[in-house]
Amino acid sequence: MLLRCRLPLARFSLDIDVSFQSRVTAVFGPSGAGKTSLLEAIAGLRKIAQGEIEIGGRVLFSSSRNIDRSPRDRAIGYVPQETSLFPHLSVRKNILFGAARKTGGDNAAGFPLDHVVELLEIGHLLDRAVARISGGESQRVALARALLSHPQLLLLDEPLASLDIGLKERIIPYLRRVRDEFGIPMIYVTHNPVEVLSLADWVIMIREGRLVAQGIPREVLMSGMVVSQLEKDQLENVFDAVLTGSDIEGGRSSVRLESGQELFIPYMPGAVNRPLQVGIRADDILVAIKAPEGISAGNVIRGIVRNIERAEGQAILRVEAGEAFYVRLTYSAIERLRLAAGGAVFLIIKTRSCIVL
Amino acid sequence: MIVETFVMLPLVMPPVATGLILLKIFGRRSPVGRWLYDLGVEVLFNWKGVLLAMAAMSFPLLVRSARTAFAEVNPRLEQIAATLGAGRSRIFFAVTLPLAWRGIVSGCLLAYSRALGEFGATIMVAGNIPGKTQTLSLAIFSFVQLGKDTEAFGLLLITIALAFAAVALSERLARSRAKV
Repeated sequence: MLLRCRLPLARFSLDIDVSFQSRVTAVFGPSGAGKTSLLEAIAGLRKIAQGEIEIGGRVLFSSSRNIDRSPRDRAIGYVPQETSLFPHLSVRKNILFGAARKTGGDNAAGFPLDHVVELLEIGHLLDRAVARISGGESQRVALARALLSHPQLLLLDEPLASLDIGLKERIIPYLRRVRDEFGIPMIYVTHNPVEVLSLADWVIMIREGRLVAQGIPREVLMSGMVVSQLEKDQLENVFDAVLTGSDIEGGRSSVRLESGQELFIPYMPGAVNRPLQVGIRADDILVAIKAPEGISAGNVIRGIVRNIERAEGQAILRVEAGEAFYVRLTYSAIERLRLAAGGAVFLIIKTRSCIVL
Repeated sequence: MIVETFVMLPLVMPPVATGLILLKIFGRRSPVGRWLYDLGVEVLFNWKGVLLAMAAMSFPLLVRSARTAFAEVNPRLEQIAATLGAGRSRIFFAVTLPLAWRGIVSGCLLAYSRALGEFGATIMVAGNIPGKTQTLSLAIFSFVQLGKDTEAFGLLLITIALAFAAVALSERLARSRAKV
């Protein structure tokens, strides 16, 4: 597989030149690194300025040879993050949508319907409307639809990102089964190192459109540079923000999140409106049920608890406060404060707990 | 762009003016009218004229809603259909059209309601000949003119019923589309 492409994006240009021979290749990097754009370029949904894309000896795109196959002829099973199931069709009609395709070269995989349905355990969903299935089920249906379209390559865009923690663990085995049963090459986009380690045999790490590292997942993920990156990825709360003011004497700056929420962060030089990303650990946020007074923390944000997910003595709260904040608490804290979905809370975040990425 | 503006014109022009234009275009002295006449088709002052006037007046409404309906279809779904091997016509008939059809039907209903109330253009192009080109609206006008209020009132009730049904159906379609 050869990927060499250059295409301009909004903030930077994607410039990748890699070739690899692996079953499952993870494209790994923080959000906004250009991962999805890369998949779209491979699928033919995004125009490439310059480059070559070759898969299993088939040239899909080549600017030097003036080849640009249409998405229709690329024989690529693309599963986008939002699954994009056809809302007007039943699950069965969705998964059979691409089944009629016979193009795609000699070794285009044709998997029997029964086998795919059985493997992904979607038999009971076939006659349902797409609106009546859950997020995890949608992912499996979208995967089935792509598999049945005789693809030569599967592109999976963060298939687990929109799922709850519990569901993620249930989907990974399905992905492994697809990998082992069908032997079809996959490119798997993710920002989660655990997914890389549990599925991929090659990883390509990109950041702001550039290749940062590539290799065997265990080696790449353990290298020093990547570890510091991983630490950033451990931040459960990452927000895009712009700088709104700096106070060097006071040692703090203020930023505005996309929702308009203001946040104090440690002093940060730079011009007003400079874009940056702020990360906050779920462990570093305190929760109060009354407005706190006389405290040192710089940020007190009012919000509504949307969801409480419990696991092994701890709980993850999702609090809606313009943006979604994730907060990790012990189980006992939940009980003491009698927290429940729909309740109003105050989030207390120390200025110094806001990390600029 | 020019064609679009031209199609939209009846929406903003006085209906009588639109009627006059149609009259000039399809009149026997114009090239179009003469050509039709030679083919044995006469459109003015008969039911075809009524149809012509109503179509010209309500078509812009249909075009507008249909265009909105098509624009609301998520282009991502069309892209994904392409990666699944669907060609242009399959994408259109299997994805775009089914997702837009509610909007198109509700546009048809809107156009139908507009046609029901059409008066100015019809009277110019088809006249007001009882039993031949007299529409519901024209008949109400005639009855009132002749002082036959009871008859006019009867027709009024029919008009209200038809309009109510059209609007109710169109609202229902719009609402069920919002759910998707």
